[in-house]
Amino acid sequence: MDFAWSDENDAFRTRVRDFLDRVLPSDWDATARHGPGSREQTEFSLSFCPQLAEAGLLVPHWPAEWGGADRPTWEHFILGEEMWAAGEPRGGQYMNVNWIGPVLMRYGSDAQKQRYLPPMAAGRAIWCQGFSEPGAGSDLASLRTRALRDGDDYVINGQKIWTSYAGLAETCFLLARTGEGRNGIAVFLVPMDTPGIEVRAIPSLIGHGDIHEVFFTDVRVPASCRLGDEGEGWTIISYALANERVGIPRYEMSSRELDAMVAQLKARDGFDNAVIRTRAAEAAAACDAARMLVYRVVDERARGEPPGTAANLARVAVVEADHKVTDFGMDFLPDCYSGTDHAAFQAHHERAIVTGIAAGAAEIQLNLVARRHLDLPKGA
Amino acid sequence: MRLAFNEDQATFSTVLGQMLGDEVEAGFHTVEGWGRYDYGHALDARLEEAGFFDAAREEDLGTVAAAAMVHDVARVPVVIECAASALLRPFLGDDLPRPLAVVVDDAPGAIRFLPQARALVSITPDAVRLARLDGQAEPVESLYAYPMGVAGQDLDWQPLDADPQTIRTLWQIALAAELGGVLDGGLASVLRYVREREQFGRPIGSFQGVQHRLATDAVWIDGARLLTLRAASTRDPAHAALALAHIQSHATRIGYDLHQFMGAMGLTLEHPLHRWTYRARALRAEMGGAPQAFLDYADTRWGKP
Repeated sequence: MDFAWSDENDAFRTRVRDFLDRVLPSDWDATARHGPGSREQTEFSLSFCPQLAEAGLLVPHWPAEWGGADRPTWEHFILGEEMWAAGEPRGGQYMNVNWIGPVLMRYGSDAQKQRYLPPMAAGRAIWCQGFSEPGAGSDLASLRTRALRDGDDYVINGQKIWTSYAGLAETCFLLARTGEGRNGIAVFLVPMDTPGIEVRAIPSLIGHGDIHEVFFTDVRVPASCRLGDEGEGWTIISYALANERVGIPRYEMSSRELDAMVAQLKARDGFDNAVIRTRAAEAAAACDAARMLVYRVVDERARGEPPGTAANLARVAVVEADHKVTDFGMDFLPDCYSGTDHAAFQAHHERAIVTGIAAGAAEIQLNLVARRHLDLPKGA
Repeated sequence: MRLAFNEDQATFSTVLGQMLGDEVEAGFHTVEGWGRYDYGHALDARLEEAGFFDAAREEDLGTVAAAAMVHDVARVPVVIECAASALLRPFLGDDLPRPLAVVVDDAPGAIRFLPQARALVSITPDAVRLARLDGQAEPVESLYAYPMGVAGQDLDWQPLDADPQTIRTLWQIALAAELGGVLDGGLASVLRYVREREQFGRPIGSFQGVQHRLATDAVWIDGARLLTLRAASTRDPAHAALALAHIQSHATRIGYDLHQFMGAMGLTLEHPLHRWTYRARALRAEMGGAPQAFLDYADTRWGKP
């Protein structure tokens, strides 16, 4: 076992940090305050990501064939840590890097790869993920949006909700039903300017323009928009989620914001109290436990092991870490959550409160830990 | 960054697992006189004979293998003095006897393992000392699932050539490893029970209210194990304090869950659950407990007040 970063890893992290120091504007915290799905941050990502691509730092872990450099798995995570801790200047494009691109490489047709991967690798593609529905949140397999085959086309009708990035996305990674049960789900890559698609933003606690309702009314797309086979949707989404469960290194931002909170308290002579110091350390412990559990997932992936239950455990720990840090801030620096002087704390809070809900509720992860990791019997 | 054991550590772990395998079932018996602990004399002798307590001295095994061993040995329902022998003794000099008992900062009261110990180690901010024992320790009855004892005043303390901070850090790692292992062993025992015990026509382990709490406990235990192994690898005082604080802070809740889901069976001395949970109760208060370990960490990360 070796818990130290290699010189190569350290050099890569320094390279990413130097890039961020050079490229992020002085008012970046105010932009990041709006949230990854906001118009401000999305528009910023369209100038930031091409520069990242130019520097070889957008998709370094992708195969060279698709614009990457075949770099090691750990570099992908170091990159993710630095980006998320900086407020995620890639906006919603982090999804392309983490899982949409890899999913297309694995399941896409040649035409789909040629069409979609180059813009992603260039940092100029905005996607949204059309998963949840009003009646299908944690129970995603009960989704009802239906794609009916009509000659060479599909006609899609239904509704998605909580759809991140939909307001500005060009393409939707859409789950729709072509049959019954889990085997009746397919994935469609749907251009968002297709007639019949209506997007409505939902004002929320988690940043501007981050979640939406998306209505599909007689949306006609060619069959070539389908990713994989008709019954392959659940397999594809399982593969995508295996990539994404630990895709956002939230513990890194939480850990750095915790340091910033402590610095703020020290500046007020407010960090001598043993209770406050204990609470800060408790939050730090949660961050580091989450970090170690995520690193185990990365390590398994780096060694080519198949996905196991480690990601489910890690996801639960990440939720606890995020909440302990934002609770610490709100308990001991309550004034920092009003006004505009502490945008980073406020942005962290808005990202933290969604942690246990986005990308699969924490309780679903607990179900999976119980059944797959602890081998407990399934409920009635 | 590599979170898997190296080849030697993996072999060490596998052989240790085979040696411990017999103890899991062997521990499911009552102890003569309804004793609160079951000292694993046979296991202790086997590990000593095979040189397992010296793993930390081996370059390719090191403190990582030693900490993993402490964790794994703590999982079985017999108790042996492993933590001090595996993680302190290799750094205290040559030819030290074992088993060892340890007292930190002259903490008052009975000391774990003292009745079996052949020497007592004292760790204070200024010194590490050792007193060889020859009948000065007196056993005391205790709620804790350890042999507990008190020593007389006439101990012959000898200073050891060891850095107190280094030894304190190693002892935090050792305690974190033992507490994590004890809780993990208790959890495994409860999992076996809730898979089989039926109420309302189904195994109680199939109820989500039970599953979520045990799954949460597993997340804490697993995270603590990794924090402990990191601390063993780096021997960084901050990492050691954090590993101990994390598992000590969750031990109370995990212990509550383990007893709650074992129900009345877990209140008997027939079932060995108490041999894990009443070790955890002792360990979670060692070195000042989680509050002190958190403060130690805060001092290291953010400076002293």
